[in-house]
Amino acid sequence: MSTATLDDPSTERRPEGQWAVETHGLTKRFGDNIAVNDVELLVPRGCAFGYLGPNGAGKTTLIRVLLGLTHADAGTMSLLGHPVPKHRDVALARVGAIVDEPRFHGHLTGRQNLQILAAARERAARDRIGPALERVGILHRADDKVSKYSMGMRQRLGVAACLLGDPQLLILDEPMNGLDPAGMQDMREMILSLVTEGRTVVLSSHLLDEVERTCDAVAIVDRGRVVRQGPISELLAGATFVVQVECTEPDRARLLLDGTSFRPQVDVDPAGLTISLPAGTERAVVAEINRVLVEGGISVYRLQHVQASLEAWFLEVTSRLGGPE
Amino acid sequence: MTTVTGSQAESPSPSMPTPPSDHRGSWIPSGAMIATRCMELRKRRGLMITLILVTIGIPTVFLLIRLLLHAFAPNTYGPAGGYTIYGAMVSGVLYTFGFIVAAVLGATAGSADLTEGMFRHAVVTGRSRLALYLARIPAGLAIIVPLVAIGFTIVCAVCVFAAPTRLQFNGVTVPPNLSSAGLQSWAADHEAEVICNFGLDIGPSTPGFSTLNTVEQNFPCGNGPGPGAKQPPGIQSQPQPTQAQIREAATIIARMNYADYARQFLYPSNSLMIKSGLWLELEAVIGFVVGLGLASLIGQRTVAVVLMIVLEVVLTPILSRAHLPHLSNLQRAVVGLATAHLSPGGLPVIGGGGGGPGGHGGNAALLPESTTVAVCVIVAWLVGWSVLGAWRMMTRDA
Repeated sequence: MSTATLDDPSTERRPEGQWAVETHGLTKRFGDNIAVNDVELLVPRGCAFGYLGPNGAGKTTLIRVLLGLTHADAGTMSLLGHPVPKHRDVALARVGAIVDEPRFHGHLTGRQNLQILAAARERAARDRIGPALERVGILHRADDKVSKYSMGMRQRLGVAACLLGDPQLLILDEPMNGLDPAGMQDMREMILSLVTEGRTVVLSSHLLDEVERTCDAVAIVDRGRVVRQGPISELLAGATFVVQVECTEPDRARLLLDGTSFRPQVDVDPAGLTISLPAGTERAVVAEINRVLVEGGISVYRLQHVQASLEAWFLEVTSRLGGPE
Repeated sequence: MTTVTGSQAESPSPSMPTPPSDHRGSWIPSGAMIATRCMELRKRRGLMITLILVTIGIPTVFLLIRLLLHAFAPNTYGPAGGYTIYGAMVSGVLYTFGFIVAAVLGATAGSADLTEGMFRHAVVTGRSRLALYLARIPAGLAIIVPLVAIGFTIVCAVCVFAAPTRLQFNGVTVPPNLSSAGLQSWAADHEAEVICNFGLDIGPSTPGFSTLNTVEQNFPCGNGPGPGAKQPPGIQSQPQPTQAQIREAATIIARMNYADYARQFLYPSNSLMIKSGLWLELEAVIGFVVGLGLASLIGQRTVAVVLMIVLEVVLTPILSRAHLPHLSNLQRAVVGLATAHLSPGGLPVIGGGGGGPGGHGGNAALLPESTTVAVCVIVAWLVGWSVLGAWRMMTRDA
């Protein structure tokens, strides 16, 4: 991979570009280990963007590079159209982020911690402390010491810290960690409300269901490299077409289907069959499967096209990538 | 690679424009940054209690006990204050402990954000890392300087207001703070005590030699002639001195002893107290800045504190006095030696510092060092450790 400078003039030319986050050839190494490998990432403004990957895939490292918490070894990047790290101060002025587990000074109250962070931002940030605490739902505990906060409350405080800068871009690393179901629901609604306000939220999470519910688009990272990215609906359209069948004599049913022209991959289980068909298969095939089975004397009790989930697609993509190359 | 189309970004942009310049990239910390950093340190209850106990509590308790003892048993226990106590408290307690507590505070300021996970939050604000570092210096000094000042003020107050009321000079109780004429006048009225106890070294060239000799040889001082008198060879015994000669001799002896008398104080002078206060504050500033830089460099508080204590309590006293051939210039680079050479004259040498009574930073026990070199060493330590700490903070992964 070619090594590029971090301040690409081409990126500087359009500071008001359409991308909230834009990286080209971004690379970060730790010795021989390449944590971020030639990443090309484009996050559109005004959406919730999920950043998915198995453990150790390099999600957090990429976020740390984007925020200037550690330096990149190669590549270019920009936040909100401002090249980083050259104009890091301008870019981060409208960025809020939680990286890893949110930690604060335990001997201070939540409000005092935010006062420290607000002091490092513009003057108006100090006026946003109260509203930010209220928005994340911990205003009533704002004057308690953080050492007495639960993990979920620290997560909320971390989000409140993000909001101090009235951010156009929020980067949240595993924001659902430590939240109970109600808290996750609150967080989800808050993220959606932030997006509704026109902000961009980049959500790194291993909770695929949460990402699917919350995000408009995702990128999947594996071994430090972004392997897929795009709107969820488009990505899932490329997922395997799965049909579940509950029937008698599943072994004979499998033999019948093996002889058809569409040659499905059929897995047999005690309840019936799971039939996997290539992406883009038309729904008429479902009726054809039913016809073949019934004409073969198989009693069909249930036949269902299973909607591809992000989780299934994620596992499909990552397992395929995880195999020997 | 599949990319998201730009049409998805067409939702309304946030109303917030890119912020006007708030000097976020500037290396100069804002007042709010300093104030909140100071608050962060001040709210560390355990640390603050320790600082107060060491800088204020120890001298206060020590002096309070002395006050009580003297109040209940004045014949057994001397006054709580006075010049001697002042020297011991300043050179022995406030100097050493002030440095150590300042170093502890500096090490805490330099490492707390890292160990408690706040450094990352602070960096994400986009604020210059150098500004984040520099904000800690005035914030910490705003805590340690007043604490040392309060402890020192208590010591000064007790040493002045509870000082002995009578001065013992050569075993004679003498009124304090007399002028030369005043001492001579007092001597004329206390001729026996002066002639028999004050130091006297006369020769033929001494003004009033004949009178002094007559009085010295014939004035009854207990079992023999007055102390300190040296009989020049070949001098014959003189007739009994008159009362006028005795008074004149006492006056001359008082005038000859005035220089020594003038160096005896009941309590420290204003000048000495001001110089001592500034010297203690300098030591505290050095302790804080070096502790801050060291802790920022290594990212740990405990190790930094241990190293600072070893420097102050072990290395400095050894290197200040040991004569190591070919390494004397290296020894002079020790900051404790430099501050010892800047100590006000009149303070005793205790531990690593002190110029000695009546000295001016030139105590013979210490490795010689000029004032210029001492100042340069101190500046180099302050600047050097600040640069190291700031550099590490600017380059450290958050």
